[in-house]
Amino acid sequence: MSPVSGSARKRRRTPVWLVAGRLVRVSLGRYLWGGVLWSLFFIIPILTGLVLKGLFDLLSGARVAGLDAALWLCAAFVAVEATRGAVFWTALNFWPYWWNGAETTLRANTLRSVLTARGPAASRLPHSSGEAVARFRDDVRDLVVLTDNLVDLTGALVFTGAAFAIMASIDPVITVVLVLPLLAVLVMNRFLSAVIRRVHSRARQLGAVVTAYIGEMFAGVLAIKTSGAEAAALARLREHNRRRRKAAVADRLAMDMVDTVTGASVELSIGLVLLLSAAAMRRGDFTVGDLALFTSYVGWLTLLPRFLGRMLYRVPQGAVATERLTRLMAPYEDADHLSRRTGVWLTADPPPALTRVPERTDPLRVLEARGLTVRYGVDGRGLHAVDLRLERGTFTVVTGAVGAGKTTLVRALLGLLPATAGTVRWNGRVVDDPGTFLVPDRVAYAGQVPRLFSESLRENLLLGWPAGADELTRALELATFEQDLAGMPDGLDTLVGPRGVRLSGGQVQRATAARALVRSPDLLVVDDLSSALDVETEQLLWERIAGAARDGQGPATLLVISHRRAALERADQVVVLDRGQVVGTGPLTELLRTCPEMRRLWSEELVVEAEEQAPRPTH
Amino acid sequence: MSASRDTRRLVLRQLWPGRAGAAALAGAILAATGLPLLAPQLTRRFVDGAIGGDDTAALTLIALGYLGLAVSGQFARMLTAWLASRLAWDGTNRLRESLAEHALSLDMDYHGQRTPGEMIERVDGDVVALAEFVVAFLLDIVVSLLLLLGVLVVVLTVDVRIGGVLAAYCGLIWFGMVRAQRLAVPAATRVRERYAALFGNLEERLAGAEDIRANGAGHHVVNRFHQASAGLYRSDLRAERIGGGLFAITTVAFAAGTAIVLGLAAWTQQAGTLTIGTAVLLFQYTQMVRAPIERLIDQLKQYQRALAGMARIGDLLSQRRTMTEPARPLPLPPSGPLGLELAGVGFAYPDDGERVLAGVDLRLPPGQTLGLVGRTGSGKTTIARMALRLYDPTEGTVRVGGVDLRDTDPAQRRHRICAVTQDVQLFAATVRDNLTLFRPELADALSGGGATGGAGAQPTDLAADDRLRAVLVEVGLGGWFATLPEGLDTTLGQHGAGISAGEGQLLAFARAFLTDPGLVVLDEASSRLDPATEQRIEAAIDRLLADRTAVLIAHRLSSLSKVDQIAVVEDGRVVEYGLRAELAADPGSRFAYLLDAAGVAR
Repeated sequence: MSPVSGSARKRRRTPVWLVAGRLVRVSLGRYLWGGVLWSLFFIIPILTGLVLKGLFDLLSGARVAGLDAALWLCAAFVAVEATRGAVFWTALNFWPYWWNGAETTLRANTLRSVLTARGPAASRLPHSSGEAVARFRDDVRDLVVLTDNLVDLTGALVFTGAAFAIMASIDPVITVVLVLPLLAVLVMNRFLSAVIRRVHSRARQLGAVVTAYIGEMFAGVLAIKTSGAEAAALARLREHNRRRRKAAVADRLAMDMVDTVTGASVELSIGLVLLLSAAAMRRGDFTVGDLALFTSYVGWLTLLPRFLGRMLYRVPQGAVATERLTRLMAPYEDADHLSRRTGVWLTADPPPALTRVPERTDPLRVLEARGLTVRYGVDGRGLHAVDLRLERGTFTVVTGAVGAGKTTLVRALLGLLPATAGTVRWNGRVVDDPGTFLVPDRVAYAGQVPRLFSESLRENLLLGWPAGADELTRALELATFEQDLAGMPDGLDTLVGPRGVRLSGGQVQRATAARALVRSPDLLVVDDLSSALDVETEQLLWERIAGAARDGQGPATLLVISHRRAALERADQVVVLDRGQVVGTGPLTELLRTCPEMRRLWSEELVVEAEEQAPRPTH
Repeated sequence: MSASRDTRRLVLRQLWPGRAGAAALAGAILAATGLPLLAPQLTRRFVDGAIGGDDTAALTLIALGYLGLAVSGQFARMLTAWLASRLAWDGTNRLRESLAEHALSLDMDYHGQRTPGEMIERVDGDVVALAEFVVAFLLDIVVSLLLLLGVLVVVLTVDVRIGGVLAAYCGLIWFGMVRAQRLAVPAATRVRERYAALFGNLEERLAGAEDIRANGAGHHVVNRFHQASAGLYRSDLRAERIGGGLFAITTVAFAAGTAIVLGLAAWTQQAGTLTIGTAVLLFQYTQMVRAPIERLIDQLKQYQRALAGMARIGDLLSQRRTMTEPARPLPLPPSGPLGLELAGVGFAYPDDGERVLAGVDLRLPPGQTLGLVGRTGSGKTTIARMALRLYDPTEGTVRVGGVDLRDTDPAQRRHRICAVTQDVQLFAATVRDNLTLFRPELADALSGGGATGGAGAQPTDLAADDRLRAVLVEVGLGGWFATLPEGLDTTLGQHGAGISAGEGQLLAFARAFLTDPGLVVLDEASSRLDPATEQRIEAAIDRLLADRTAVLIAHRLSSLSKVDQIAVVEDGRVVEYGLRAELAADPGSRFAYLLDAAGVAR
């Protein structure tokens, strides 16, 4: 509990300013240097205006001089702009480090929390990983842009101050009047930004509806085609399209309105300068050079209200981003954890997470779960008070129909899902966070829908685990993967995963089993291999793992979800689930006598396996 | 990869807004370019007037004129943007719809090879890129080009020499910037690729968060993320240096151009042929050329992307369906059960020629039922799909109701032959839409037809709704339906959120009750249902199959206990075929072997 109270004491500023402050300090030197240069970049147009004033005064004869002087001023104009370009380029040499460092800090902190913080991550991640990625991309960017804009705002403030001082020294009345269009821009920005955000999010949302509908339409193409509903499905698409078009056009209009208001205010200012200076110019109090200076400043002056207006919505946007990112993190974490300076490694590699296999301290004797309950949604589907006891050296099979809760049970046990009730004990001691305790080298898990990443096969298997070549070979053999490996173009260096060599479902599952086995856990948990392995291979797999366990070369205790004979017949205990409840526990032979659900599942399995291995007819 | 001329014409035809739309847009574009071009003329009059001693009233009038012109120029630009985006969205929506229509009409063979994600990219992603380009084309390319040309023409009329210098200078800068873009684009592309790779990796890691946590690999993955970020930083820094350098050089180049024009103006003015007002005017016009040149070059990149999208659109449109519908279809018997006959049917996929079925002969008289048995991948599903004409046989004939399926009318076929697959396909739409697949009139036609009269096509028609509710009760979803807050108007979430797998299967099943098919194909796949759902489904199946011809694929041999015929399929061939009763009674048959293995009574 200490992290909560600790950060609560520290956090006096609102979270978004806390984050912005931390981001500045990701690389304070570069931020300050870059800040000074960016400000200069915004301030230099002051000089441009003064040069132009000189030039036009000269041309209009307000100052007496020759062509030489005019050409010198032209050269000065180029020199000022060249300086501005140089300042810009120099700033760009500092800024990417700060920018990338700030983004990486936020992303790495969030990722670290998702992957390692206490408590299950499943409930924190949004349903689609695409949406989670969008948060890593857009929300992080929002916060970095907010911090970045502070620099622009400073530059614009200094410019505006200086410009107003110079203009007031020329003609105070016009200068004061020019504040009006600037205020108009500020007000419009303030007012419009809320509208824009609303319109924009609506357009995005309706765009997503169209995308989702197209996806569903093609996912359900069989149903649509077999029932001849093509025209109706297209009519619905047309309807979604129409709604999206309206929103998208409004979105575009709202954005253009901001541009128009800004552009119009510049023109309005120039018009005002012309109007107000007419008399003074006739008298000669207001020179053509003054006019040039005023018109050149007017364009830049709108920067301040624009930046201010932008800041006015960046801050709430940043607050939302902070909130959304912290929601990806564990419940006990907040903006403080999000923005901690955990190190930036943009120019050197970070130190490896693990250099040798940790010492084994408390080997498994018995793992016990009591009253494990998981509740999904309002209808109470899930798991109801399940008890489970795994003793060292035993083989336990969990079985049941689709939706019986098999995977839920295993995931809740391993702390991958939040359990509503129940306790898990390791050798009699209560495990308070199974998600971070039941991990290698205590427990390893091969999931039902395993993922390989777009990396080499070796990286996929090891994921940083410090195992030697021998251990890796043994794990691959245990997982009956050696033949597949022989067929890979580059062996263990073959790039696999979504962007690499496509492996069959069975290969992915066996590779995942190898990933778990290379960690030589006390307990191996495997979720249903049957959809990807044929009966003989699954048989072989269990034989090898059992053999390794006898030799002390592999996991001694197994928890397996399966409906295969190979697993059920081998099991020391079978746990039968039906709609989230245990309806039978014991050896298979006993359950076949006492448990009707077991008998039903067993006869179904026999037919499926008989179909797969049906002998030639005898006549 | 370049879009063929035909595709381009086809796409352009979809995008063409019609004469009125085009005229409105052209007017707006002319205003958006003409008004800004006029404004500096007034500044010149003002400056020269003020210096020359015109009276204040005249000057004020000019100032007001400037105000009106300049501000309405801004609004003309906004109007152009609004019109352009409306027209672009209209056009691209048409394109999206015709792409979807075309894709839907393609054979299952095509869809079998593509994921919904890919189809989203083809039907939506490429079109969005195109829509963005169309708006940008009208706003940035057309408007910018006109503006640039306008400026050059005006300056040329003011002073031919200065105009000539400005034109030559613009040409030079254009040439230089396009060359420089070639330098900058690879670096920028690299950053985009790294960026996409970083988020691609991140998405993989987030999707596999459980695997990572369960393997205790979190810290390692965070380290790898740092490494990927460092790679992004390096290419970002490089791209920024190049891009920033180009920007700085462009700034200086434009400043030099302005200086040259001003220098020339000063020189001409010394000679006395140019007023100070004209010098101001020249300065303003020089400032006006920068934005359009930059926008034009920026759009060159977009153009490449739009072209690539266009090529992919053309690719999709050039896909042809391999099955053709008959010019003069033969009618199926309009009511009653339909017989099914497969005579010497063989099938191979067109792309790889892999033989899936060979010499399949089946004869199912009207009103009888056939059970297909065999291991996964043996060809059962392909046989079932032949009966739906999702594929045409490469050899032999499939007849339904005595008519070759290739000669039947598609609409009638869909009406008279119905399929239920256990691969549940639900939509994020209302329960009503999910049941009728967006055809509210469907239930209406069944609810007694004429009873509600001509206006009965209303989606909220009461009789139709009653029929839908009755169907839900019939398949055993009555209890579930009663819990729905808005009844038939309750929206199901994406991917069937708010409905369990079993209920989803029942809902898909209920669709079959909405038509009056003469032939039903039930492909139960190998899903293992919980006992409660299984019982409900079996009762519903019995009701559906009463007095109908049916082909059933079931893993549970008990659900084949009532069929008339059994065919055992292996490697695309029917290896055993006969009456169920006879096969079950023959102890040497495969079917009997399977019944024994399952412990089902023969």
